[in-house]
Amino acid sequence: MSHGGYDAVSLAILWDRLVSISNEIEQTLVRTSFSTIVRENYDLACVLFDGKARCLTQGTYSQPSFIGTSQQTIRHMLAKFPPETLAPGDVLLTNDIWQGTGHMFDVNLLRPAFRKGRVVGYAMSVSHLPDIGGRGFSAYNTNMYEEGLRIPICRLVRGGQLNDELIDLIRANVRVDEQVIGDIMANVAATEVGCKRLLEFLDEYGIDDLDPLADAILDQSSRAMRGRIAAAPDGDWRNEMLVEGPEQPVNLVCNVRIRGDTLVVDYAGTDPTVPAAINVPLCYTTALTAYSVKTILLPHVPNNEGSVSPIEVSAPPGCALNALPPSATAGRHLIGHFLAPLIFGALAKALPDQVPAAPAFTNILNLSGRHRGGTPFATLYFTAGGLGGMKGLDGLSTTPSPSNMKVLSTEVVESLTNLTVIDRRLIPDSGGAGEYRGGLGAHYRLRNDTGHDAAVIGLGRRNRFPALGLLGGEPGGKRSYILNGSAVDVRARYVLAPGDVIEVRDAGGGGYGDPQARDRARVAEDVRQGFVSREAAVARYGLDPAALPEG
Amino acid sequence: MSHRIGVDIGGTFTDFALVDDASGEVSIHKRLTTPRDPAIAVLDGIAQLLAERAVPIGAVDSVIHGSTLVTNAVIERRGARTGMLVTEGFGDVLDIARESRFDLYDQRIRLPEPMVPRALRREVAERMRDDGMVLAAPAEAAVQRAVDELVAQGIESLAICFLHSFVNPANENAVRDIARRGHPGLHISVSSEVFPFIREYERWTTTAMNAFAQPMVDRYLGNIERGLAAMGFGGAFYVVSSSGGMVTPGTARRFPVRMLESGPAAGVLMSTHHGQRLGLTDILSFDMGGTTAKGSIVMGGVPRKVYELEVARMHEFLPGSGLPAKVPVLDMIEIGAGGGSIAGIDARGLIRVGPRSAGAEPGPACYGRGGMLPTLTDANVALGYFDPRFFLGGSMALDEAAAAAAIDRGVAAPLSLQTIRAAWGIHEIINEDVARAFRVHASEIGFDYRRCSMVAFGGSGPAHALRIARKLKIPRVILPVGAGVMSAFGMLVSPLAFQAARTRPVLVSELDAAGFAAEFHAVEEQARSFLRAAGIADAAMRIVRHLDMRYRGQGYEIEVELPAGVGLPALFAELPRIFADRYAAIFSLSYLEHPVELVNWKVEALGPQPMAAHELRLIGPGGGATAEKGTRRAWFPDPDGFVDCPVHDRYALAAGARIEGPALVEEREATLVLGRGDRATVDAHGNLVVEIGGGA
Repeated sequence: MSHGGYDAVSLAILWDRLVSISNEIEQTLVRTSFSTIVRENYDLACVLFDGKARCLTQGTYSQPSFIGTSQQTIRHMLAKFPPETLAPGDVLLTNDIWQGTGHMFDVNLLRPAFRKGRVVGYAMSVSHLPDIGGRGFSAYNTNMYEEGLRIPICRLVRGGQLNDELIDLIRANVRVDEQVIGDIMANVAATEVGCKRLLEFLDEYGIDDLDPLADAILDQSSRAMRGRIAAAPDGDWRNEMLVEGPEQPVNLVCNVRIRGDTLVVDYAGTDPTVPAAINVPLCYTTALTAYSVKTILLPHVPNNEGSVSPIEVSAPPGCALNALPPSATAGRHLIGHFLAPLIFGALAKALPDQVPAAPAFTNILNLSGRHRGGTPFATLYFTAGGLGGMKGLDGLSTTPSPSNMKVLSTEVVESLTNLTVIDRRLIPDSGGAGEYRGGLGAHYRLRNDTGHDAAVIGLGRRNRFPALGLLGGEPGGKRSYILNGSAVDVRARYVLAPGDVIEVRDAGGGGYGDPQARDRARVAEDVRQGFVSREAAVARYGLDPAALPEG
Repeated sequence: MSHRIGVDIGGTFTDFALVDDASGEVSIHKRLTTPRDPAIAVLDGIAQLLAERAVPIGAVDSVIHGSTLVTNAVIERRGARTGMLVTEGFGDVLDIARESRFDLYDQRIRLPEPMVPRALRREVAERMRDDGMVLAAPAEAAVQRAVDELVAQGIESLAICFLHSFVNPANENAVRDIARRGHPGLHISVSSEVFPFIREYERWTTTAMNAFAQPMVDRYLGNIERGLAAMGFGGAFYVVSSSGGMVTPGTARRFPVRMLESGPAAGVLMSTHHGQRLGLTDILSFDMGGTTAKGSIVMGGVPRKVYELEVARMHEFLPGSGLPAKVPVLDMIEIGAGGGSIAGIDARGLIRVGPRSAGAEPGPACYGRGGMLPTLTDANVALGYFDPRFFLGGSMALDEAAAAAAIDRGVAAPLSLQTIRAAWGIHEIINEDVARAFRVHASEIGFDYRRCSMVAFGGSGPAHALRIARKLKIPRVILPVGAGVMSAFGMLVSPLAFQAARTRPVLVSELDAAGFAAEFHAVEEQARSFLRAAGIADAAMRIVRHLDMRYRGQGYEIEVELPAGVGLPALFAELPRIFADRYAAIFSLSYLEHPVELVNWKVEALGPQPMAAHELRLIGPGGGATAEKGTRRAWFPDPDGFVDCPVHDRYALAAGARIEGPALVEEREATLVLGRGDRATVDAHGNLVVEIGGGA
């Protein structure tokens, strides 16, 4: 079997090499970064493109949303700066909402790789900056002008010469400038390492033109995806879902249309945009859609333009999933992440054995204040809820999805902020009951022991709408915030006076299948481990009280 | 007349090397491991080897021992029933774990079970602030009650793990004392002692693993000690640690988690010594066996040491799918590639080999034990590299037809490839996987491997090493003598050593030269104390210092070795420059004006070197009368096709012999494949030194 001149042996070898180059770019970014959001949370992506700007590979820990948006960002960048106008040592930058990742916090950097005077490929590095000015990372802005500094596509580096004026402009507009500029430079280093390795790779294998290899990789991937789509039953698989809005819920609607080897996801019927920073630009909707379909249909082929090209997306302009300027979008993930369970729910009707119940998502607290000694801090505190169960497998507890933000350890949080994490424990019964149980969420209490006021901005969800179960599985527990003993909203700003305590109770994943069908021994074991209470074992799982473990 | 014995207990075999220190003569022995009581094989093997060489036990000065028993015990969960005391509010740290997906797209990822089940963890009301201030001291009665409960639940070993104990161990120590008073027989591991680094999940998991292994290690070391004494052994008994140094059995009992990789570490150590003998300081050590391959990078004649190991990976060897162990270990990459690696078609519709392994049962198709899936060994048989009649010296016949049929069925037919092309694909993909792992790792640590040499060993290593070296543009590969018992050999060249470290983040600007020196002295004292306990005088110790440094605000550190022979106060002024140079070498940029932070302070104390590798001479098993055994049809690339190539008997090769590829060199446990342009020479010590021919 031949793949554009490469047989199954050579293609596998060359393809794997490109994946490992992307991993190297990612490691460079992480290890040279100055913010916890890059190095601890991995809110980033590193992507390699061929000379035709087609996405080939990305780092293993790259965020799925950025992987998807990067493919659109590069087109916008090259429309403004066509390849023939670029020179070796140029780096382009933007944080534009609509051309970037869907909110201003992410900076996108692109560097062309030149070989024999010609652009043969590109390396892109994307990361979430610790600040971008405006009113800070939150969900309560009502238009994009309140959200921060918007930088149109421009040259950050020209022929190896850093644009100091642009750096000064950014520095003057942000709160933690040392971290912000340090992270931008880390992205510069990452793209440099990426292009260097790409050129070494071409030299080593004597490849003058990357495009035929790219054709083979993309073609093979696209065929694999079409094969999986064709194997799924034809039909119009609909799902809809209410999610938390500013006041009223927002209804999301999707229709997954499968015909032969084509798959179209249409969001017609979704509610309009809302006056809060949770609207989703189409670039982000497209990215999350591609991720959600691929993770179910084709998880084991490395992602690239070919593997997602058979997936079409449409959303009516002005709906919450195709927000237009000047909508506010900082917290676009607050709605955007729901696309995963929305699509999972639709696909479950076609492929019930392959789809997990809904995940509980990650919670973010945006923390800022001063240390005991008076120096300022600002950091994001992510904590993960549970995953949904799926056929043959309980959902993992405290695991992020669909984004893959890593979480700060308690010792790191306390050292970074001097706030005290009083406790952090799993919440029994927070995993949705099912034949395969949902993963548990955890709760934590945070006390302000800094001696100064500290600000907390919540970016929560699943406070009204829990992670739903599938095929008879029950929903997971909901998320809640408690300030000094009283329940409060999960998307607002609070000032913690010294001694104040905020508690976050994270949500659990949805259950899969009828809880009554769960293996009795596993129910008893869950009780023994404390994941399920004795009461729930009897009431929700129908365990014979005589079968309860002692204690 | 003094002798020393190295013993390496592996999962399948226990290897022995006996050296006569006067002559440098080494004799080797290999026998099956006795898993129920590993001491049995150790003692029987020593007795047999001594009898064969007619050496009385009284002439043996020391026995040096390493093993993978701790690793295997963790993987198979065959350790002690272990309890855990943790900070109140944090009983679930091991369940909450790292909160990250190691695979973005796979919805079916799994994670290993925590080292200690939830029911055996107890919370203790105590609290330490992040700067080491005691907010709450533990109450004796409550601690006593918690320990009593756990003991009633049948624990043999206890891990004490509190938040921020790496800054101030007072609360952990107090609780240890209480537990010890109440239960003197209980094994106890304390997190601030096992490894004093930030991040509770990693530190606590490491400590729990330590506790889990303690009773088992205590028992089998005791069995060996008693058995040796009964044989009349009056010398010293040492254990090799994962970082390649020897420790006393007392230290090994306290920190069994430091033994996790002791066997492989000794192999790396031996590679280093082989390099030194040839005047080579930059080495890639490459070991490939039945299930996995291990690689290590040696720079400047010293194996790299790191504090990060992942044990028991659940998911195809993917990083992140196992349990972290924060212990000093020789830096090794592990690749799921070995003779048993299974080949098939992946979701892309392309050829894929490993990491799934057919193991020993059913094994490769050519073993004829019911294995139907094609493996790397099957490919090597089909390519003509392995002689089906001379596998393991002819003690096991291989089924060539079964190998070809399996490759056809599993790879060639579905991909419309010829059998031989598929076999070559399987062989070559493994070469690429290994080369790729080396490349990625080298770039992470800023190392240009293209100037260095490779030392290759293990059952499958010599069949692949030259091709991998060619891909990496490495000019020279050494196939050492005694490669089949490389780790046991390595133990003979291991010095007594202990590595101590502590985390204390501080800006260079907030420190002066005296404070800098004082901080290092404290860590140094700790490292020295372990060697003093083994009877080494301070004057005989060598001290090596490393600093993990970063720019203020960063979270990842770069390890910098401090030059020896320069006083600490003088070094202090040089720190920013030393760091900037190292940083730029890795990331091609640096910030001279940006404040530099010191994070981890590490000191290794080393005892005298027992002997150098160049003094060792293997007493070989003896070869045939002529070196050339005949010819065999084997497949080689560029141009692709079968060649009738000569087959040599390694044991009959005389020093100075030269062999040009394509050719095969056979020994009992392995076959060296020389490609076109490769030229091998046998050196004075019986090592094969191969120059990789020009062209890729």
